[in-house]
Amino acid sequence: MIPLPQVLPNTTIVISHLSDETNVIGTSSPREIVLLFASLAIAYLLGLAIAHYLKLKLSHRLKPDQLHLMNRVIMAILFLVAFAITIPALLDLSYTLILLVSFGIIAIIGISSQKVISNMVGGLALVYEHPFASGDFISTGNVSGTVVSTRLFSVLVRTTSGVSVQIPNDQIYSSDVSNYYANVARRYEYVVGIRYKDDVKKAIGIISGLLEDYTFVLKNPAPDVFVNDIDPDSVRVMFRIWFPSVWAKTKDDISFQTEILPRVKAALEAAGIEIPYAHREILFADPHPALPGFRAGQK
Amino acid sequence: MWWCGNILHGSPWRIPFPVLLVDSAAINAQVHHCVSSHLLQTRTVLILVYGRYDRGFSITEEKINLRIEQADTIPVYVRECKGARIEKYLAADYDAIHIHPVEPVNLPQEITHHLEISFPPIVIPSAAKKKFYVTFPVEIGVFFEIRGEMNILDIFSLVPTKFSLYGLPGTGIITRWHRSGIFGDIPVTDMHREGVLELTLINNSATTAEVSRAVLDSYGMQMFYGDRVGMTATMEIISPLIASTTFAALPPRGCPHRSIDLYAARKFAIGPRKSFFMESGMA
Repeated sequence: MIPLPQVLPNTTIVISHLSDETNVIGTSSPREIVLLFASLAIAYLLGLAIAHYLKLKLSHRLKPDQLHLMNRVIMAILFLVAFAITIPALLDLSYTLILLVSFGIIAIIGISSQKVISNMVGGLALVYEHPFASGDFISTGNVSGTVVSTRLFSVLVRTTSGVSVQIPNDQIYSSDVSNYYANVARRYEYVVGIRYKDDVKKAIGIISGLLEDYTFVLKNPAPDVFVNDIDPDSVRVMFRIWFPSVWAKTKDDISFQTEILPRVKAALEAAGIEIPYAHREILFADPHPALPGFRAGQK
Repeated sequence: MWWCGNILHGSPWRIPFPVLLVDSAAINAQVHHCVSSHLLQTRTVLILVYGRYDRGFSITEEKINLRIEQADTIPVYVRECKGARIEKYLAADYDAIHIHPVEPVNLPQEITHHLEISFPPIVIPSAAKKKFYVTFPVEIGVFFEIRGEMNILDIFSLVPTKFSLYGLPGTGIITRWHRSGIFGDIPVTDMHREGVLELTLINNSATTAEVSRAVLDSYGMQMFYGDRVGMTATMEIISPLIASTTFAALPPRGCPHRSIDLYAARKFAIGPRKSFFMESGMA
């Protein structure tokens, strides 16, 4: 049997070189292993303590997702510091080797999980552009609801019916998003029809007075009340009003319907102005038309 | 209509008399939320007095009643107003109750911390300085004191609230809006509905300016009370479109007592702001 060094002389040399570089595996002692776990535990406990402190001090000034992100970043930094202190000494690794291994791992993960990376990049773009924050009411695709949190890979939205919907970041970033809370004020439009014979100026005056008295209808920009259209059944009076967004938070805020529209109806009716129902007046060319099977004049 | 309250003599907020008689015809009365409108039709109105009261206080004015009750030895704060009853149990042994005017930006809910006072246009030439008086709405705060520390218990108001937008929807701010007249001397007001702001207008711009509103930040408000509720502020015109409003710590004439700052009672982690920049115009 031929000895291995004679068959594969180069390989043997390489192995012997590797065995000389025992620092690849490391000569870690139990003390260094304990130090690693201790430093990780300290970093974790310190992160929890900082998170608790920040929650006490900043919870009324920051939104929950902002506070959560801040805590995650602090925790990640603490862990990195713990690793940076302990790992090289533990494994006797050079920083060059650590970088090479890291790049290799990143490349493998990147190739095998493009969708995940895409969501992560989308999440970073959302954090940078900040089109909405937690607590905002948004509408994207078929989903409308309040943003609960913006996370690394997805956005969690709670719909008005109480359903939590998780939307991938790349999907939300590449589609249209309407934020109903981005501006401090929002405009609503409503139309009320009155009869042809009703006094339009009087109706406009009544509606304007009601809007003036309502707390959440903004003084400026002033409400617009005007005749919008004259359709076959009614004269259509439109009113456009501005609300504070913080009050009118949802897309279809029912406060307006429940509080203002009933008042408008009651006030108009109290003033003798009616909201008409649709009607048609049919005129016949022959006032006594003959029905099929009957002669004229036959009953 | 009557009033009963126990005033602690010797306290920093001691009031010399519990009841003031005011001719209601002189009051620029407005329609208000809590008190029925026929209250204002009476010739003489008994008005509440701000200050410090002991534990068992009770105040009644026609349609509004404030008191502390005991429910199974637990103190309960009760406010009754136009048939509505609000109860709040006090989980701590308090030392006293304080009723003070507070920054008028809390009701019906905290939407803004800015107050906008709209008044008839004033034209002021460059380098001129003019002092005048405007009114502002008053909200009434009820505090309970524990070992010298003030804690908010209730806020209510007798005047209707109206909001407005100062600036554009994207960059502007929501304000609590109030319409006032312009007065050369201190106007007579109902101190539970309106206060008096002593506003000094300084035109430091190079041109004549027209001013018809002042926007003020409640985080810098320093309210005082006495014969009336009052504040002192300065509005410095920097350019035809920009001005800054600043509150002064000086008590206005007839208002020697300092009100409790609401943001301090709520322990907000913010200090009083010195100035607010009106960057969306003054007219």
